[in-house]
Amino acid sequence: MLKAAFNALKNLFSTPATIDYPFEKSPKNKEARGLILFEEPKCIWCLKCEDVCPPGAIRFTQDRESFDYTYHYNPYLCIYCSECVRACPDSAVALSQCNELSPPTDDKNMNDNWFKIEKEAEESKIAVKELKKIKKEESS
Amino acid sequence: MKKTIHIPIGSQHISLLEPVRFSFECENETIIKVEADVGYVHRGVELACTTKFKFKQVGYVVARVCGLCAIVHSTCYTLGIEELMGIEVPKRASYLRLIANELDRIHSHLLCLSHTAENAGYEALFMRIMKDRELVMEVQEAMTGNRIQFDYVSIGGVNKDMNSELEGVIRNKLGLLHQKVAEIKELFDNNWSLSLKYKNVGVITKEMAYRSSLLGPIARASGVNFDVRNDSDYLPYSELGFKSITMEGGDIHSRNMVRLFELFESIRLIETALDGMPEGEIAAKVRGTPEGESYMRVEAPRGECFYYLKASKGQYLDRVRIKTPTFGSVPGMIEALKGSNYADVPAIIASFDPCLSCTAR
Repeated sequence: MLKAAFNALKNLFSTPATIDYPFEKSPKNKEARGLILFEEPKCIWCLKCEDVCPPGAIRFTQDRESFDYTYHYNPYLCIYCSECVRACPDSAVALSQCNELSPPTDDKNMNDNWFKIEKEAEESKIAVKELKKIKKEESS
Repeated sequence: MKKTIHIPIGSQHISLLEPVRFSFECENETIIKVEADVGYVHRGVELACTTKFKFKQVGYVVARVCGLCAIVHSTCYTLGIEELMGIEVPKRASYLRLIANELDRIHSHLLCLSHTAENAGYEALFMRIMKDRELVMEVQEAMTGNRIQFDYVSIGGVNKDMNSELEGVIRNKLGLLHQKVAEIKELFDNNWSLSLKYKNVGVITKEMAYRSSLLGPIARASGVNFDVRNDSDYLPYSELGFKSITMEGGDIHSRNMVRLFELFESIRLIETALDGMPEGEIAAKVRGTPEGESYMRVEAPRGECFYYLKASKGQYLDRVRIKTPTFGSVPGMIEALKGSNYADVPAIIASFDPCLSCTAR
């Protein structure tokens, strides 16, 4: 009891344990996991990251004419599990993780428009597959 | 004329942390009949695991079943899948999993203790335990990368390795925590508002614990020596000389004491694991798909977490069944509430450390 009373007295004169958050930045751990970074020149378009991502935050859409892939990333769906970084093959290493968290944004591809990207990612791949099939038949 | 009074508590109530509904029949101040309803936060996780997510992704989904024991759920699921696929996990990965599991137990127990202190009207101790809990949260962030949702365990091993710098941080912070927990233990033992209020309140005898098949710290506080860490060797607990803690009282005070002694045991386990950390790989290669059935048990901070998995060589599992620890302790909660004073209800419920979001899933 004496010890507790002594502690209570000591706490009266000590500085608070919490920080003055909006005016002071919260401390950041350098090991903390954050957003996924993508380097397009290194990518070999194996689509492994799209396959493993648990929330489906990485999506690739395919162009119907040139068959080129486009990378889409939704930082608000991402759970920072870095499963994609581990899935990225050693010959590419296009993905990496930083310790920044997703900032507020007015990106037009977020919210409702993300559903369109999801739909397009699925439909475009099926369409391209069929287009390739037709091309193959034409050439043979 | 009716002699009893009907008093509902919940589903939203100031003393409850999560939505649960109890309805009491009271005779004056004494409760004579209790009914409980736990299914307020159903999210359909089990169905999602079999229809929306592939087996490699399910580990991250089941981690979201519970915020406090996230690592327990992902460990339990991963161990089950590894059994089905016949993957041998590297020893270093097992040790790292053990450390993460024990860190999780420490922060969960500290949270429970702070709430029991708050329910005794000891707000200052609540603040103090929450402040000390920050130490273990920092260790978790340094080790796994996140404060609560670790996403640390993956099929075949773990996601992040440990280096000597991190080991130093863990030893340093756990040493500090050991001192703080010792001070808290003294308060729980000697402070009048905690020890007098909580002795002989919400008693569960050994027989009652057996009859309502209680598990975890609640059963151990009633003298039932049962701990999954002793029973099955899912992680290398026996190598580290784990000793389970039992007490005889069965009241709120002994439940708090079991949790406090388990904190010391967890800190000791982590330090021993760091001493004997084997070298080598942290993850094994994963090939193929799971087939068959598996049952897996893991000791969660609140009791026994159980997983049943069924798969037939596909990317999607056939069945995922989760039994969370709190689900097993609801009958015990009803037993403990019968015959006690209405004013003690918040304290008794808090001493069971209920986690209802996982119970309803």
